[in-house]
Amino acid sequence: MRVFLYLMWFFKQEKKAYVTGILLLLLVAFLQLVPPRLIGVVVDAINNETLTSADLIKWMTLLLSSAVGMYVLRYIWRVMIFGSAVKLGRQLRERLYKHFTQMAPQFYQNRRVGDLMAHATNDLSAVQQTAGAGVLTLVDSLATGLFVIAAMAITIDVKLTLIALIPMPFMAILTNYYGTLLHKRFGVAQEAFSDLNDKTQESISGVKVLKTFGQEKEDIESFSSLSKEVVDKNIAVARVDSLFDPTIALVVGASFFLSIFYGGQMVVADELTIGQLISFTTYLGLLIWPMLAFGWLFNIVERGRASYERVEALLNQDIDIKDKPNAIAAPPKGEILVEIDDFTFPGSSTPSLKEVHFTLNRGETLGIVGRTGAGKTTILKLLMREFEGYEGKIMIDSISIDEYSKSALRSSIGYVPQDHFLFSASIKENIAFTNPALSQSEINRAASLAHVHEDILGFSSGYDTVVGERGVSLSGGQKQRISIARALIMNPEILLLDDSLSAVDAKTEEAILSSLKETRNGKTTIITSHRLSAVQHADLIIVLDEGMLVESGSHEVLMKQKGWYYAMYMRQQLEDLVEQGGHAE
Amino acid sequence: MKNANQPVLSGKEQWKILARLLTYTAPFKKQIAIAFILLLIMIAGDVAGPILIKVFIDDFLTPRTFPYEPLVALASAYIVIQVGNVFITYFQLMKFQEIALKIIQQLRVDVFSRVQTLGMRYFDQTPAGSIVSRVTNDTEAIKEMFVSVLVGFIQSAFLIVGIFIAMFILNVRLALFCLVILPVIFLIMKTYRKYSSVFYQDLRERLSQLNAKLAESLSGMTMIQAFRQEERMQKEFGDTNQHHYNAGMKNIKIDGLLLRPAIDLVYVLALMIVLSFFGITSFSAAGGIEIGVLYAFISYLDRFFEPINQVMQRLSIFQQAIVAASRVFLLLDEKEAAPKQERVENAHISKGEIEFKDVTFSYDGKQDVLKNISFTARPGETIALVGHTGSGKSSIINLLMRFYEFNNGQILIDGVSIKQFKEETLREKIGLVLQDPFLFFGTITSNIKLYNQSISQNDVKKAAEFVQAHTFIEKLPDQYEQKVVERGTTFSSGQRQLVAFARTIAASPKILVLDEATANIDTETEEAIQIALERMRRGRTTIAIAHRLSTIQDAELILVLHQGEIVERGNHQELLKRKGLYHKMYLLQNGLAEEQEIS
Repeated sequence: MRVFLYLMWFFKQEKKAYVTGILLLLLVAFLQLVPPRLIGVVVDAINNETLTSADLIKWMTLLLSSAVGMYVLRYIWRVMIFGSAVKLGRQLRERLYKHFTQMAPQFYQNRRVGDLMAHATNDLSAVQQTAGAGVLTLVDSLATGLFVIAAMAITIDVKLTLIALIPMPFMAILTNYYGTLLHKRFGVAQEAFSDLNDKTQESISGVKVLKTFGQEKEDIESFSSLSKEVVDKNIAVARVDSLFDPTIALVVGASFFLSIFYGGQMVVADELTIGQLISFTTYLGLLIWPMLAFGWLFNIVERGRASYERVEALLNQDIDIKDKPNAIAAPPKGEILVEIDDFTFPGSSTPSLKEVHFTLNRGETLGIVGRTGAGKTTILKLLMREFEGYEGKIMIDSISIDEYSKSALRSSIGYVPQDHFLFSASIKENIAFTNPALSQSEINRAASLAHVHEDILGFSSGYDTVVGERGVSLSGGQKQRISIARALIMNPEILLLDDSLSAVDAKTEEAILSSLKETRNGKTTIITSHRLSAVQHADLIIVLDEGMLVESGSHEVLMKQKGWYYAMYMRQQLEDLVEQGGHAE
Repeated sequence: MKNANQPVLSGKEQWKILARLLTYTAPFKKQIAIAFILLLIMIAGDVAGPILIKVFIDDFLTPRTFPYEPLVALASAYIVIQVGNVFITYFQLMKFQEIALKIIQQLRVDVFSRVQTLGMRYFDQTPAGSIVSRVTNDTEAIKEMFVSVLVGFIQSAFLIVGIFIAMFILNVRLALFCLVILPVIFLIMKTYRKYSSVFYQDLRERLSQLNAKLAESLSGMTMIQAFRQEERMQKEFGDTNQHHYNAGMKNIKIDGLLLRPAIDLVYVLALMIVLSFFGITSFSAAGGIEIGVLYAFISYLDRFFEPINQVMQRLSIFQQAIVAASRVFLLLDEKEAAPKQERVENAHISKGEIEFKDVTFSYDGKQDVLKNISFTARPGETIALVGHTGSGKSSIINLLMRFYEFNNGQILIDGVSIKQFKEETLREKIGLVLQDPFLFFGTITSNIKLYNQSISQNDVKKAAEFVQAHTFIEKLPDQYEQKVVERGTTFSSGQRQLVAFARTIAASPKILVLDEATANIDTETEEAIQIALERMRRGRTTIAIAHRLSTIQDAELILVLHQGEIVERGNHQELLKRKGLYHKMYLLQNGLAEEQEIS
């Protein structure tokens, strides 16, 4: 029940809705007592032959108004309580989302998207359940239970009530026991199902092997026996599940029998009227729900607590990279000094960058090359302040990048990532990602610079073509060029191309590079690449190997050195030749 | 995201799907009959209870006569019926669930079997996840419907009929009045279904949008932060969140208006009918009122509505199951079948000569990935296929293995078209080793045998020894019974490769098709693999895709492919002398030392 304490802040926030909702619930629980009571009264009147039409009309009107009243009140409390619960879901989800947007990449490194999604979906829905169905069950079962028992004891007879209630606790105990049993067996059945899922997954991934050995039939047999297993485990669940109804029937039946048996004797002894006896049995029917609800309640509350704690833990994660109190809000220009002595990714034992020093004047182009994992991207990540905690300094315009606000720093940087991530939106929206208000002509211009304008016009809906999971699938090269356009539209002081030309052909690469040169006069550009042709014309090229700067200089200088750069250059020339079928163009 | 491609089904289509689902009940006629008999007995017992109490009230309690024996008989009857019914109820519930589960089992096996008969083309075009989803999750949704909706619906319908029969027996006129309840309930149900299916669909759609947005933001967070769009995305997410909230509220409202509260209202209205009827009757027929009948009617009304409530609350499950079923049926009706063999008399593969005659092939019918491929592999020879990614090497293997159908040219084994062998003959005589050796969950032994029971433990060991896998297997704690986890991830790729070799050798093929592993293999196993490959090739016709040219230098014939054509052919020495594409590839792979020569 601790979860209700956890949620107190929300109950306070939605005080009006909850107080109204609970009051209405109590009122409904009370009104529920009216129909059984009226049945008794009418029966007695008929039995004693004292019923008049005026009375009948009076009772029926009362019955009708109680029914209509209950209908309206039930509707209102649902909207109040369930509505608040949905609101809680919305609110927590929004907080979570906001929190996610503030977390640095380090946070995402240690967590899988799937797990984060699970918190935002399953956990939130469990919490929402608690605030809705949980509250309802607690209040309603208590209220209904107490009211009904009170009505039976006060308006009918205490002794009869006690006798009739004897079997009832058995129902609570038994259904609770079944619940635990069911939960266990359900777990086993789920496991069997997940085995079946794994098996299917495996058969489909290994379909070639199965076809090769011609063992499709045998595999179907194996699937069939596994799915039989699933059936057996589910039948075990059904065995328990099917106990609920008969048990309830048995207990209620016993209660009824006791009531009729003793009640009958009391009627004979004139301690009770027949009408009262019938009222009494109808009341008994009202007691079934509270008895069942309690077992249920513990379940909801337990799940809610665990989920709430998980969500809370996530929300309490500190934001790793914060702005300094008096951070500079003016975006920097493009003069870059990098003096990283050592940088190790959090959680890693080997340094990713060691002794990487270079300077870049405003308007110059830097090329970074090296093997996969040499640390090319890491430099860019540090430059954008995605990670902190390096030894040494990174300065832009002679001021350490920590002194700028993150927003100011990033507003100067146009970043084209390696994995060209596009959002499920139109191409237009993707290119104008930094500012949806940009005009079509500006979008066209950026796309032309990235040499993707023609491609886009070729799609059936042009710039309105939707990309991503639900939209058309673009080639890797097209995605890369749209990502480039997205960065270029900012006309950024510093452009970072992180191996972003890998999927475009040599000619397009050259065309993009030369249009960058033309339009980015006085602006700084950093290009990392596997393909040396992309950095050949840079003012400065640095070669990284296992995080260390091993060679640096212009293309001509590096070629003369006959080191790694030279060897790689020759190799790539040969590779190009092989790709073209052995004949130079 | 899940229902992004959710088909929109018209009412008629929904009924058609339900009807098709119901055809799966046919094999269970007998069991279903038993379940129905149990159900009928249970309902008879259920309905009998109030009648017995009615007898007690009218015959004994009201007149206040208490003859011992009839009373004991009445009480005993009541107890026997109640207790007996408890057992029957239990068996009846069990039986229905059991049948439902077995029906789904049948459906599941059908879907899975269907998948196994589909051609590779289907697997290329369909993500594995979505196929798995059809076989397991969608059938699970259908199970939910069978277990909780259909069964509940049948039980409720029978109970309602049973109650009405009892009512008619007790008092025809009042029962007729009570019939009014039915159209009212029906109307509420229809209205609810009409609106809730729309609202509920909307809610699910909103939820999937919300989740899609969240998932996308999480994977693209670097971008959002790099471009400082946090606030805008928060706002956009807030909007989606709000839409979802609104949809949720709509559902709460429609549920509040038409579910339990409405049914409870109808209950009280029914109560009013009964009470008024007796009240009005009592004005004219003094003393003629049977209180017991009144009791019985009230008691029936108490039971009448709960099943209806439950069925209505589960209507959304029905909706989802129908959609799931439509997807399952789509898969069952899939036409992309595996290539069919033409009927032939027992053709045997004895020598293992392979001939490609002018084979041209295209996956999509537009772009040819193989153009006029011709070559002959004489028995026992090794033919190596080399070339850049996408040059067509794998396609040659795909055709030879009959993974894809081709229409231009011929592929002959021992002079007979491969389309004219029995499928089993081909599978038995041609052994394929895949680039990425796929291990199944199980043990080393089960992976070498696969499902072939004719392979003895001794054969397994021999095969492993033959391919040099024995050495590493012996060192495992459980040796041949060592557990293999999914995809064999606890073994190195070299070890997996060796197990895959043993698997192929255990099946003793006449023709060997090798797709050389590109993955890095540790030096320790690398040597074993080379020796194994050489041994395996001995005496078998071999078609090998080679990524490392060093491994195929002794091949009788090397075919160099480029864009689907054979551009060079010959043995290693001949090809090197030509100084063509093969020569350049060779230089590329053999280090920097020779590189200088060509530059």
